[in-house]
Amino acid sequence: MTTMFSEFTLRNLRFTRGKLSKLARREANWGLLFLSPWIIGFFLWKFLPMIASLVFSFTSFNLLHREDVQWAGLENYIRFFGDPLAGVAIKVSLTFALISLPIGIIQPILMAALLNQKSLRWKRIFTTLFYMPKIVPMVSVVYIWQGVLNARTGWVNIALESIGIPGPDWINTVAWIYPALVLIGLWGVGDMMLYTLATMQGIPTELYEAARVDGAGAFATFWHITIPMITPIIFYNLVLSSIGILMYFLVPYVLKGPNGDPGNATWFYGMYLYKEAFAYSDMGMGATMAWILFLFAIVVTIILFSTQKYWVFYAAEEV
Amino acid sequence: MKKILTVLFSLLVIAAMLLAACKPPAPAAPEAAAPAEEAAPVEEAAPAEEAAPPEKVTIRWFVGLGTGANPEHIPGQEEVVARFNETHDNIELVVEFVENSIAPDQLKTQIAAGDPPDIIGPVGWSGTNEFSGLFLDLEPYLGAFDWGDFDADSINAYRLEGEGLLGLPFAVFPSMIYYNRDLFDEAGLAYPPQNYGDPYADGDPWTVEKLEELALALTVDANGNDANSPDFDPKNIVQFGYHSQWTDPRGQAAALFGADNFIDDEGNAVLSERWRSAFNWYYEGMHVKHFMPNTTYQESDLLAAGNPFDSGNVAIVHCHLWYTCCLGNVPNWDMAVVPSYNDAGDVTVKLHADTFRIFASTENPEEAVEVLLYLTGEAAGDLLQIYGGMPGRISLQEEFFATMDERFPQGVNWDVAVQGLAYPDVPNHESNLPNYAKAYDRIGAFQTLYESTPDLDINAELDNLVADLQVIFDEAK
Repeated sequence: MTTMFSEFTLRNLRFTRGKLSKLARREANWGLLFLSPWIIGFFLWKFLPMIASLVFSFTSFNLLHREDVQWAGLENYIRFFGDPLAGVAIKVSLTFALISLPIGIIQPILMAALLNQKSLRWKRIFTTLFYMPKIVPMVSVVYIWQGVLNARTGWVNIALESIGIPGPDWINTVAWIYPALVLIGLWGVGDMMLYTLATMQGIPTELYEAARVDGAGAFATFWHITIPMITPIIFYNLVLSSIGILMYFLVPYVLKGPNGDPGNATWFYGMYLYKEAFAYSDMGMGATMAWILFLFAIVVTIILFSTQKYWVFYAAEEV
Repeated sequence: MKKILTVLFSLLVIAAMLLAACKPPAPAAPEAAAPAEEAAPVEEAAPAEEAAPPEKVTIRWFVGLGTGANPEHIPGQEEVVARFNETHDNIELVVEFVENSIAPDQLKTQIAAGDPPDIIGPVGWSGTNEFSGLFLDLEPYLGAFDWGDFDADSINAYRLEGEGLLGLPFAVFPSMIYYNRDLFDEAGLAYPPQNYGDPYADGDPWTVEKLEELALALTVDANGNDANSPDFDPKNIVQFGYHSQWTDPRGQAAALFGADNFIDDEGNAVLSERWRSAFNWYYEGMHVKHFMPNTTYQESDLLAAGNPFDSGNVAIVHCHLWYTCCLGNVPNWDMAVVPSYNDAGDVTVKLHADTFRIFASTENPEEAVEVLLYLTGEAAGDLLQIYGGMPGRISLQEEFFATMDERFPQGVNWDVAVQGLAYPDVPNHESNLPNYAKAYDRIGAFQTLYESTPDLDINAELDNLVADLQVIFDEAK
């Protein structure tokens, strides 16, 4: 499918520039001019630092002793794979991903489905309320949840104890810290919910009418029409959430500090990277870890993209 | 072609603007950057007959590693800087405020970029341990300095073997017992003593054991039972007897059980029996006898989510003089002396001391020292009021406590703080360790574990701590 922007891809520019009319060339030049702040910014503050960090990863660069920088070859990479704390970080990140990803994907779908109900009153109020936590700065959110989940004075445990259930020590025990983190994370799914709701509202009503004519019930309609039609946004949320979990740092850092407490349960990969690069000033190792994370994120993304042909339904392709 | 040139030119202009925006401000007088060993004053370089205004050397002062970067601290320090710049033709003092939690990272980044500040501070031992070996020895630059206004021991604390004199005493913060008079009155208990060597009111020696006895009586559950009662409910405590506030395990142990460290003279990780019994005492106090709050209670609203004594629900805490910064909700508090840790009456008063330090990499050591002398001398009185520190200069102490009396009109016996200076912890509980950042983290992880985990084999965990510290120390060899 040809789009109006396709001529501006680098590949096309290279081969078609000579064929462009004077007007088109002029427009292309102006386009490049207006893009140039971003291009220059990207080059200076993204691309060059990335290349620099790749070089750092092969050195013994210590932030406090830059005069002692030496070429280290693959030493940092070998050290990383031999470090038991790296194994802990990978295990913690993957464990949390397994717990939080399904919940983080399903929750916005359920909320959007609820808000998409014709019979629901005060939809706008609910939509606003569900989205509102997203606009609270995450650090404040974590501090609020720290109070809410406190085992002695937190609202959650007070509520549980009022119905005879002894509340756990959510944030100080290995067994309960992940549910606590998932709870905190769920508070911020407002944007995913909005995207999903917008997609749901874009599903042609003819499909639902046809299903009703065929005698489909509410669940069958949801499962066979709504879900397939929103798979692109589910896929989008899945890709972003997967990458987000690989970089997960702020919530556990604010909630439990940088040491992976309790019992290394919050020793996420991002925490480990932060400690090596900044707390221990070992920028060579930090850069190594950043590149390993980058490569892993690429692999995860490629795997996810390779699966989409089996379950993601793009309506436009079928039309 | 003309249009392409226009586009390229525009790109160059934009790039130049962006690069210019990123460029750090150039020193006002780069030619004045004499080699450190020459240390030639700027004025001498300019011929007097030309009467040209002397070019200024820029000295950067980095605030945030310790206190000083809170919003309420900033205007006063800016006034101090402005006064300096008005009265000095040769130096332009530039101050940078960086929030405490990110200050170490930002300073490291500046060092890595080859653009460190000239002066940092105020900062204590703990805040500078990571940067050890990077500071300037002040001694060669001080000349005929008047040492008479300082306590000799406090100066020697800044003299390190192989590194020289790294700072001048600026602010000292002895530790002491803070107690809530109202809670003592409510329990019908006499206040703890305020002179070192005095016994408790009932004639018993003022020891850790006596402190525990008081703390148990002052720990109360929701039903009004104290921690000595068989009906005491440790899951519903509403008032605690004792807490060692805002310190790490080395500070906890040193506070009541004497000075020591996790390393011996040969660089081996060690744990003395005295400190082992200290950690057993704290562990039992939190999880068995319940007169100290564990992590869950410390983080709860009951204890002001991290400021236990100021919640009004803790009767006694051990802390430093700087804690006066954060007292606003307990109107009727006072200070008492630290109890002794043995029958011989031995006492340790762990000490914090803040100062300013100069990086050895400074291009203008003489000017940097001139600024440091201003901050620790002429401006010290104003700065100490801003930071709430007890002056290292003896001549400033009386005025400092007069101001403190205005802030705390309930009547605080400040003499407790002054007396405490005679019992400093040597080695200091914040002293450096090999591979400091990792060692500090491991010690911190032990604290989190034992403060938050009931049914812990505390002695096994202490053995694990020592073993892990040995590995961390060995990494640095």
